[in-house]
Amino acid sequence: MRTLGLDPVHDVRAAFRGLCAAMSRPGTVEGVPAPADHAVLAALVDHEVTVVTPDEEVREALDREGRLNEGAPETADIVHTRGVPEWDVRDAKQGSLTEPSNGATVVYRVDSVREGTTLRLHGPGVPGTRTAAVTLPPPELQALAAAQPYPRGVDAVFADQEQVLAVPRSAGLEVA
Amino acid sequence: MTGAATVGEVLDGLSDDGLEGYTYAYLDEHTKREVRRAVLKAVAIPGHQVPFASRPMPLARGWGTGGIQTSLSLLGPAETFKVIDQGADDSVNAANIRRLAARTADVETTTDTTAADVIQTRHRIPEEVLGADQVLVLQVPITDPLRTVDPSDAANRRRHAHANYGKIWVRLYESIVEHGEVQIAARYPVMVAGRYLMDPSPIPRWDVPKLDNAENLFLFAAGREARIYAVPPHTDVQPLAFEDRPFRVERFDGACRACGATDTYLTEIETDDGERLLVCNDTSFCEKRQAEPTLSKDHHLDRSGVDWGPGTETSVEMTTNTGPATDDPDPDTGGDRA
Repeated sequence: MRTLGLDPVHDVRAAFRGLCAAMSRPGTVEGVPAPADHAVLAALVDHEVTVVTPDEEVREALDREGRLNEGAPETADIVHTRGVPEWDVRDAKQGSLTEPSNGATVVYRVDSVREGTTLRLHGPGVPGTRTAAVTLPPPELQALAAAQPYPRGVDAVFADQEQVLAVPRSAGLEVA
Repeated sequence: MTGAATVGEVLDGLSDDGLEGYTYAYLDEHTKREVRRAVLKAVAIPGHQVPFASRPMPLARGWGTGGIQTSLSLLGPAETFKVIDQGADDSVNAANIRRLAARTADVETTTDTTAADVIQTRHRIPEEVLGADQVLVLQVPITDPLRTVDPSDAANRRRHAHANYGKIWVRLYESIVEHGEVQIAARYPVMVAGRYLMDPSPIPRWDVPKLDNAENLFLFAAGREARIYAVPPHTDVQPLAFEDRPFRVERFDGACRACGATDTYLTEIETDDGERLLVCNDTSFCEKRQAEPTLSKDHHLDRSGVDWGPGTETSVEMTTNTGPATDDPDPDTGGDRA
């Protein structure tokens, strides 16, 4: 993934650690190498999983390394979108009760993970409640909340230029 | 073999190769991605066992291969790594895992709990309170607490799917009827975030309360069973217990012979004369206590009174259950069905 301006070992590891910290503490903002959505995809995607991305640059970079295995938004393991997607997040894969981990990871590229629509989160990883904000319209975030019928559901990662914020399915999500 | 006159010369030539050809942190990037994807899903579904493609490692499965794969997928060159085996930093297994990480991932190693970024552990949670920027990786021999009541993995997965945990409650009830209290020495079943029954790995009951509402992330990795699960920070973790038979940690009749501690998990050792002594299981903290007997478990934090595991009371009541619990003599065998 050098072509995306990322070191394939150390930048990717840094992206994973940022993602891991963000998932562990839903609603907190963690730094990752820029551009954040590319770093997240570089950390997670290879031929073992199916991916949907509108980003031609990412698709080419993955394909060059034999790591591109494209799927449909309804079946892919990792779905990437810039802002509000053309597809409905509620249709993304939610896994089964016996294997909820088959639910998709949805990576939203957004303008900011510090301002925009206010989210209130609670649950594992959150002492009490935590307030966060991302630049997505409330209906999309309400659809995301509906796509997380715990323990099934999708896990969302919001990425701006060099930061990520995660809303895993374990988080209780209220959109203000 | 042209050019090499002796075996010694050939060996010298080989040693020059060093770690050339190995990828950073031993594992190839494809393996790390697999482990990392499983870790993230495990964090998103606290207590659920996420399957992953566990790789063969340069040691036998059951010796910490899941923990090693997880640690090496986390570690970076600026980090400090600690490995403990039943509370000790100096066992052969712990020392070798530490050395593997130091040589291939270029990390600093330490025995000091408070200085480590990532701690890999076999069957103990350190006595010193872990902080928000630390990750504890626990090695897991048996992933499913339901296996003690039903050997069928398929049936147990269905039970987890529907949070149908009646059978384990019956087991606890039977244990109380038979012994007066729940006799599970290690692998005490816990409920995570009110949804998943989880095997906390063969940590003693003493360590179970530390999982609840902690500051740090706990990752549980089983290389042999190819499962990873997690307890994120600030997650509700409750040991199974009945209202009139609350969960209890181990009681010890005495203090650590080396540092005098009465608020740590103690293990019994036998001297050559046949004398039985109690000593701290966490050797790193015991050494600090020997130098400074009043050191608290949260001495390194900027706030005190942090709730971490059992309290520091010395007036614990001793009941009829003296001596170690009778079942599960070796947690690794998982032989608690006796």
